[in-house]
Amino acid sequence: MKQKLALGVETSESQVEKALDSLRVWAMTMTRIGGGAGFWGDRVFAPLELLSTSKLDYLILDYLAEVTMSILAKQKMRDPKKGWATDLVDWLEAGGVELLHDSGAKLVTNAGGANPADCAKMVLELACEVGWTDCRIALITGDDVVQLIDDALDGGSLVENIETGQKLSELEDGVVTANAYLGAGPIGRALESGADIVITGRVADASLIVGCMLHSCGWAAESISQGHAITTPIHRWATSEVESPLDVLASWSIAGHLIECGAQVCGGNSTDWKLIDNLAEVGYPISEIEEGGSCIITKPEGTGGAVNRRTVAEQLLYEIGDPAAYITPDVVVDLRHTTLTETGENRVRVEGTRGLPPTDHFKVSATHLDGWFACSDLVVCGPDAVERSKACDDVMRARLSDLTRLEINSEFFGAGASLPPGLAHLKVEPSEVLIRWGARSGNRADIIEFGRSVAPLILTGPAGVAGYSARPKPREQLRYFPFLIPRDLVEPQIQIVLMNTLRLRVSDRSPRLGSVFDRLESIANGTPEDQWRRKFARRVLVRLQRPTMRE
Amino acid sequence: MTDNQLNEVVRLPLSMLAHGRSGDKGDSVNIGLIAHETDWLPVLESVITPEWLANLFGEEVKGDIEVYSVPGVGAVNCVLNGALQGGGTVSLRKDAQGKLFGQVILQAEVDLPIQQAIRLGLIQP
Repeated sequence: MKQKLALGVETSESQVEKALDSLRVWAMTMTRIGGGAGFWGDRVFAPLELLSTSKLDYLILDYLAEVTMSILAKQKMRDPKKGWATDLVDWLEAGGVELLHDSGAKLVTNAGGANPADCAKMVLELACEVGWTDCRIALITGDDVVQLIDDALDGGSLVENIETGQKLSELEDGVVTANAYLGAGPIGRALESGADIVITGRVADASLIVGCMLHSCGWAAESISQGHAITTPIHRWATSEVESPLDVLASWSIAGHLIECGAQVCGGNSTDWKLIDNLAEVGYPISEIEEGGSCIITKPEGTGGAVNRRTVAEQLLYEIGDPAAYITPDVVVDLRHTTLTETGENRVRVEGTRGLPPTDHFKVSATHLDGWFACSDLVVCGPDAVERSKACDDVMRARLSDLTRLEINSEFFGAGASLPPGLAHLKVEPSEVLIRWGARSGNRADIIEFGRSVAPLILTGPAGVAGYSARPKPREQLRYFPFLIPRDLVEPQIQIVLMNTLRLRVSDRSPRLGSVFDRLESIANGTPEDQWRRKFARRVLVRLQRPTMRE
Repeated sequence: MTDNQLNEVVRLPLSMLAHGRSGDKGDSVNIGLIAHETDWLPVLESVITPEWLANLFGEEVKGDIEVYSVPGVGAVNCVLNGALQGGGTVSLRKDAQGKLFGQVILQAEVDLPIQQAIRLGLIQP
């Protein structure tokens, strides 16, 4: 009896030991990646929260939606130093650089947008400012294919819009931007060459995460030792023990897809919003990814929101087409049999994703100028609010009826503007209506006229109309033109440039750097700062003041 | 319950069957609809068809409508092509990126055989 009991205890102890061992092994082989931004305009300081509350191996920030690239392109047209996601600098300046340095996490972001070089330069200055002198920033370029359209694609006559079939060469106005969605390969290689921060232009969202995994799991190192070019399909980079590299890549892609929209997987934008606790302090997601591809989606302890099967399922299908063939530059993902299992509080295990070989093409997101537009709105109240708002709209349209190129879209919010025809029966008579107009024309003067016609409605239309704001200014409209381009045309352009503070030349210094030196001196000479900051501040001052040390 | 009643259908809001989210890709909108229970997928598949969606959205959707099944999570993915007046960058809609579709559609009603609705626990016998 005693022996049995002893045996029993022994067994349970060894079981515990075994479980702990496997947990340790799992923790060692598992890569923790945080997703700190879902788009440019997301909560600016979310990356700070992630870095200060969680131990991360990598922090990825996706700042680029389809719309964002065209906004950034417009900014670059106005000022050649702009065109990148400035939110990056806002949180880095607010202590983010120091946190990033201290945490040891690598930062991978597509904040470069339409101008990765200037973005990287600014980040480098920030690192320099806090004395992080050995900070290495990798800049990935080659996504901009505008030049290729003339050179290799016969001015666009070989290019068709994948949605409309229209030929690129048939456009009235030329292409403003054309950016290929690059894959994970260059990111993996940039990290392998020692980058602390990787800044890219247009890279497929999930590839930001896949790139981290290529580095973390030794695929990038393997590709170098095997002598693979950076353009080799990355499933051939797999280390020898990996049985089905395509499945692994597809699973990593899903692990990335789930966190690249930030808090949308943690209870933000959830159908269950009534049940989600503390959205004010919603947590940003972390993917704990295994070498084999399965992952756990979670969020930092103590944050608001929720991670459960329902919040993850909604994000799994977000912006997906055919679930059997979700195309990324790295792999074609089949997520039909991906499963979600709740394994603990705010922990969901994701597995079962399959992969197929990547296609021969990169998708290109191009934009071209297509006239002018402006938006405006007014609020209408009182009896028969809907009838009044329609009368108000009629008055405006009558006054602008001679402008034949002007197109106006009127929406009556409160009166069922969001309801499709099949739900028209749900419309109710509201006590007020918000009229919202969107107008466009190939003629800029038409949009100026539209802008002038809004405010007068308050005094010259039906009673009960209000909400005057400044006349909307005409804005250039950039139309999206997606097309496919053979990989072998894009790949030779891809470049990884490693920058570090030593490469800052005098001529490259922006006026900002004057204050940078002041700041460095104050850090180096005094106030009780963190030790590493003082040490590095001195180092960077010494180096930057000695021309012989510069390249 | 009479035989007659058993053959009848009951009209229920889609929100009783599924939850969802929508997003854009170019000029198309996708709506992921996930059944509240994974094994309700066949029911969801029987009601969410391209015809049903075409009827619901009418002229708002200019292109083809596709519905794909995602058995792993018990969901269907609806793709509405040509639903954004040209896409997010040029749409004159306030909701230029189709973010509202996923919640708007949950208000739509679907017809389920009474027996089936009882079996799923959606209505009392």
